[in-house]
Amino acid sequence: MIKKIKVQDAVGTKLAHDVTEIRPGEFKGPAFRKDHTVCDGDICHLQRLGKDHLYVLELEQDELHENDAALILGDALAGEGVTCERAPKEGKVRLLAERDGLLMVDTASLAAFNMVEEVMCATLHKYTLVKAGEMVAATRAIPLVMKRVAIERAAAIAKQNGAVLSVKPLRKAKVGLIITGNEIYHGRIKDRFAPILAEKVKSLGSEVMGVDFAADDSEMISKAIQSHLSKGCDLLLLSGGMSVDPDDVTRHGIRLAGATEVHYGSAVLPGAMFLVAYIGDLPILGVPACALYHKTTILDLVLPRTLAGEHVTRAELAFLGHGGLCRDCEECIYPHCPFGKGA
Amino acid sequence: MKTFDELLLSSAEAHGHLCPGQAVGVRMAMLGCRLIGLEDPAEHRQIKRILVYVELDRCAADAIAHVTGVKLGRRSLKFVDYGIMAATFVNLETGAAFRILSTEEARDLVALYAPGVREKTRQQLEAYRRMPDSVLFRVQRVGVPIRDWDLPGPTRYKATCSRCGQVVRDRREVLVHGEPLCKPCAEGAYFRDAEEVTWPDMNWTPSPYRRPGEKVEEELVRSLPEIGTL
Repeated sequence: MIKKIKVQDAVGTKLAHDVTEIRPGEFKGPAFRKDHTVCDGDICHLQRLGKDHLYVLELEQDELHENDAALILGDALAGEGVTCERAPKEGKVRLLAERDGLLMVDTASLAAFNMVEEVMCATLHKYTLVKAGEMVAATRAIPLVMKRVAIERAAAIAKQNGAVLSVKPLRKAKVGLIITGNEIYHGRIKDRFAPILAEKVKSLGSEVMGVDFAADDSEMISKAIQSHLSKGCDLLLLSGGMSVDPDDVTRHGIRLAGATEVHYGSAVLPGAMFLVAYIGDLPILGVPACALYHKTTILDLVLPRTLAGEHVTRAELAFLGHGGLCRDCEECIYPHCPFGKGA
Repeated sequence: MKTFDELLLSSAEAHGHLCPGQAVGVRMAMLGCRLIGLEDPAEHRQIKRILVYVELDRCAADAIAHVTGVKLGRRSLKFVDYGIMAATFVNLETGAAFRILSTEEARDLVALYAPGVREKTRQQLEAYRRMPDSVLFRVQRVGVPIRDWDLPGPTRYKATCSRCGQVVRDRREVLVHGEPLCKPCAEGAYFRDAEEVTWPDMNWTPSPYRRPGEKVEEELVRSLPEIGTL
């Protein structure tokens, strides 16, 4: 039960919830914390915050305070690699990444959770790369007092399929690079692809085992693939030869090498001519020439997911279409932009 | 109890078509049975232990009746015309009763649970297979006062309407100034302008009338099934 009392009569009572103070451009946070005992000196401060009345709480058996509710919700939302902060602030708890990795969000469960009246959870986009300790979501019960059954139902929904939020660690792949193209193989121009790809691989914690060069010859490309595999590579990146010209034979080379699955074409710009193939479980990513020019391309969307163990197929490449158009900004601020976030 | 897919198929067959309402009804009945502790209420030994109140006369009601085996004529199925997609499952032995309400938000979540399915009805069906009970339903533990004359079994009481002479069973009569009236006489009816009529073939009968002493064909009598075995 909630009872309302005048702030002047509140001296000696304990606050039922955190009281938020906002000073524009300067401060937003709790001016008073829950259970603070109101004293004479607080009255003016509370009135300046617009509080002429305060609540006194007497919880029924079937009711929960917003802080307790937030902890139940937070624990239910947090799956593997995610932890719920133990100290709710202003009725809200933050969910933090427990490890570096790729944030996974079960968007159907999240929507179902948020459809329960008077609870909420806001998250970062799924497939966001996060660092340990980083906030990935926050949740709260909206009213000060909630019915326990509503919170328990929301928590059950949050837990389905192993919880709404998880952080998958990226494996440390042994990556083989194969740069294709007669112009490079025959030394007509200098390769600039390998350093770009190597940098992206290293930034995700994986290691480049070796770089091979191949002419526009499917047999030679196939042999280069086999050679990398025999050296123990467990992820291959191929560049060039992904386009529509008669000399573009990389796809054929990948098939010759024994690819069991080949998915060519993605709904992303830059990156329409991207390729994902598998030899058994081993992924091969075919990177089109756009990666030479654009700082961020489809590779930045798919490589982390591949390293997180996701089996990317035609459907995943197609679903990237919504939000898959790069705005080609003068200064690239990815990942702080909408690129790749609509999938 | 059979699997969801088996029940959905047989329910659709009994109902006449496969539809999202069948999926929700089958899911609701499966949950209801679990909650009141009846594994397979349609099975002979359990059939007298269950009572179901449905609050909406739409597709789901048929699915609920199919899965649970309750029937209007056996008095194990009660229709309460609330227009609410809900049903209450009662275990007559233990008294346990749960009212299950289908959530409105489940309809809004269909596209998220079955994103790869394009056709709308197919998408709803698939989504209702994938959603957990916690998303599809809200459940209330309820008390259901059941009067003796509402239970399955023989007629407990008969009254005769003091205005039209109609016999009224099971305490459905209304007392007006101490006189028993049938509901149409006391409260008005769903029909109006009732006028008794005759019709051309009003002497039709499925079994021809035999005059006293006339030989009865044994075959015809034998063709009736044994009473009480169905």
